[in-house]
Amino acid sequence: MIGVGGLLVVGLLLAGWQILSGGYTFQGSLIDPPAPAADFTLTDQNGQAFQLSSQQGKVVLIFFGYTNCPDVCPITLTDFKRIKTELGDLAAEVRFVLITVDPERDTVERLGLYLPSYDPAFYGLTGTREQLEPVWKSYGVYQAQQESGSAVGYLVDHAARIYAIDQQGNWRLTYPFEMDREAVIEDVRQLLKESSMR
Amino acid sequence: MKAEYRPYLKRLMLTLLISLLLVGAVNEGFYRLQREKTDRAPKTVQIVIPKGTAAKVAAGESLPTLPEAMVFVVGDVLEVVNEDIAQHQLGPIWVPAGSTGRLVLEIADKYSYSCSFSPSNYLGVDVRQATTLATRLTALGVGVPAVAVFLFIYGLLAFPIKPPEKRASPERVVEEGRHG
Repeated sequence: MIGVGGLLVVGLLLAGWQILSGGYTFQGSLIDPPAPAADFTLTDQNGQAFQLSSQQGKVVLIFFGYTNCPDVCPITLTDFKRIKTELGDLAAEVRFVLITVDPERDTVERLGLYLPSYDPAFYGLTGTREQLEPVWKSYGVYQAQQESGSAVGYLVDHAARIYAIDQQGNWRLTYPFEMDREAVIEDVRQLLKESSMR
Repeated sequence: MKAEYRPYLKRLMLTLLISLLLVGAVNEGFYRLQREKTDRAPKTVQIVIPKGTAAKVAAGESLPTLPEAMVFVVGDVLEVVNEDIAQHQLGPIWVPAGSTGRLVLEIADKYSYSCSFSPSNYLGVDVRQATTLATRLTALGVGVPAVAVFLFIYGLLAFPIKPPEKRASPERVVEEGRHG
């Protein structure tokens, strides 16, 4: 009896050791080998140019959305806010970026009013449709206007994934909508840790 | 150990053994009755997107089809190798051209995702909790102590352990003999 119990305990300990001793497993969808993220230059909510390649040294979390979005975007931005809070001091090494899929309504001024309600440190990027279309295409972002019949006018169907770009400017991870926030935080911490070990 | 505790320890050991046999038999019985194909250890499931897939999609040509719903077990790694010159999305995985997307499926649920090369543009992903040897051992680990405690208490109430009779000391026997 004691032998059976002992074997069970040893088995559990071995399983636990195997799990703990393994390398870190990213919880988002890992891109391997990392691919250089498509560069772009757009305008942020302060009217300043934002170039992705100038952000090297930071982890960049990019999400495509729009300010009139009734559901997906507020949820994602709220998640961004919580991720930033929970990262604490490490958040200074992370850029949180919203790129609009509705450039006609998401002007610099509109983004400047909208984003501070979540966090003034978030970046909201816009541009002309001609500037944005290559960005949408290179990030595989589907977007299409849909008439809603409501007072806010049309809605925009759009891809809702989050892209994590590492400190070397590579696509490293993507997350589907409503991915577990803790998983994103752990992955971002790991990306920052990897860079500090280089 | 004090002699008066020994019967309790013996009873406890017996109860643990009975519980192990009982819970083990019930667990294995139900496991064999309900066993499914997904009751396996996690593995890597690889899907290769060949070169020219995006061009074929654009031209409306038929592609090797994926099942409408793909069934996985928790812990499976879904790996999408994109050999095409365009980015692709398969369910939760977005892969730039020439790269590989890898996702550990960790939460059992049914998901519906868009897919850039399935005929319906949608892909169902069903992630199930597999019943493996580890699951069954965990069930034993949870079930056996609980059943053992129940049986032990029930046993004490139904079949109380009699305290060991104290042997009379020689002096007392002599005392009693004198009075008699």
